[in-house]
Amino acid sequence: MEERKEHTEQAVDYAIEIEDLKIRYKTLNKMSIRKSLTSFRKAKRETFEAVKGISFKVEMGQIVGLVGRNGSGKSTTLRAIAGIFSPDEGKIDLHGHTVSLLSIGVGFNKKLSGRENIFLSGLLLGFTEKQIKEKEEEIIAFSELEKFIDKPVSTYSSGMHSKLAFSITAVLESEIMLIDEVLSVGDAKFKKKSYKKMKSLIGGHNRTVVIVSHNMNTIESLCDTVIWLHDGQIKMQGPTKDVLEKYNEFMS
Amino acid sequence: MKMLERFFHDIKKYWNYAVYASKSELKGEIANSHLGWMWWFLDPLLFMLVYTFIAQVIFRKSEQYFPIYVFIGLQCWNFFSKTVKGSVKIVRANKGIIAKVYLPKVILIITKIMINGFKMFVSFLVVVIMMVIYRVPVDWHLLFLVPLFIGLVVLTFGISTILMHFGVYVEDLANIVAVVLQLCFYMTGIFYSIEKRVPAPYNMVLLRGNPIAYLVYEIRNSILYEITPDMLICVLWIVAGILLCILGINLVYKSENNYVKSI
Repeated sequence: MEERKEHTEQAVDYAIEIEDLKIRYKTLNKMSIRKSLTSFRKAKRETFEAVKGISFKVEMGQIVGLVGRNGSGKSTTLRAIAGIFSPDEGKIDLHGHTVSLLSIGVGFNKKLSGRENIFLSGLLLGFTEKQIKEKEEEIIAFSELEKFIDKPVSTYSSGMHSKLAFSITAVLESEIMLIDEVLSVGDAKFKKKSYKKMKSLIGGHNRTVVIVSHNMNTIESLCDTVIWLHDGQIKMQGPTKDVLEKYNEFMS
Repeated sequence: MKMLERFFHDIKKYWNYAVYASKSELKGEIANSHLGWMWWFLDPLLFMLVYTFIAQVIFRKSEQYFPIYVFIGLQCWNFFSKTVKGSVKIVRANKGIIAKVYLPKVILIITKIMINGFKMFVSFLVVVIMMVIYRVPVDWHLLFLVPLFIGLVVLTFGISTILMHFGVYVEDLANIVAVVLQLCFYMTGIFYSIEKRVPAPYNMVLLRGNPIAYLVYEIRNSILYEITPDMLICVLWIVAGILLCILGINLVYKSENNYVKSI
């Protein structure tokens, strides 16, 4: 028995391993010269710990949901996994997988055409020009912008803007996808389409996904396991159904 | 040393982005104006006229090839001051990017240097045209431009990275930097000759102690007057610039993590 257990542990490929992750925000560390001249005592630095030592592992191809109240540290955790800021303590190991936070319209230059912004955004997300070129047509087709794609983004309606932004991040896929409550953009038809696209993206095997959402239907229909964060700590972790049941009980 | 390794690795990794972002910024700048790229020439030309007028008509002071003299000074100064001024607020200005995706913050400065460097390069084409019109003789002294411009870029990068760091935490730094830059502008001798107009020992103090004044002075000497620059001072300023760069790069990499939490 002992031997078999060891064997199965080795066979599992983890995409994300998080160990004792702690992230702190320092409040009040902005100063102005007037303030530092007029007050002789040093501005007090309050530290606020948003994530208080959480550990979890995500297997390759797994879809994990993060739930919890506002301010429980979900988005902070997600941003830490995306590398936007590194942990104050603890470790995040992605085993060399590419990761992207699915966020809308990163680095857009509104004076340029939609087509040029596809490249700008794509390069920023870490793709090469060649990779973007290969996906260019697919992005344009998915965004439904047609001839508007060569018009400056500043002339777009807000719906068109989000459609383009969503298409870029959805079509240019990375191995680990992090999604922070962005599943609803555009008109009803596009919403449905983008939800479907998300589902098919997520469904593709070998894609590891972490989703933050307050929409329980989204979590329930997409996730394999759920992690429930409460005040920066893991309150519960397990199969979607079990955790959501307890979570809904707690929230109501 | 580890920071520098990371720095060069990041430069390689994000080079394409920096180039594309600079191109888009430049394109965006001209997209909505009637005269478009003409402004890259017109802007310095018009300012040259202003300063030439002030110096020659009001103060009645002049140098040989005065319009070109002013033009070169103005271009080098603009490159330096626009980059430095922009860097103070650069993190906040790019909040939309850095809150959503990891981007080494030094890349923001590199992009800025590319944009302003390109503008400087373009406007030096005007210098060439003006030199033909004024029949300015040139020779191998032009080779000295290579180390002199390296000095300018290295110093600009070093100062900009350091100011970027403090600009995140000190909100009114931009106001102070604007005033200090204005003072430096007058102490750099853009539209007068420090060597001739500032009384003796101070002129040499100013020329050697203010790196931008020194570089502008020697760049003019190399282009217009075929005078060999004092290479020892040039090398010293390049070394000082590299030290500032190392300091700035270390500072930024050590704390860039917290930038996004502070803005």
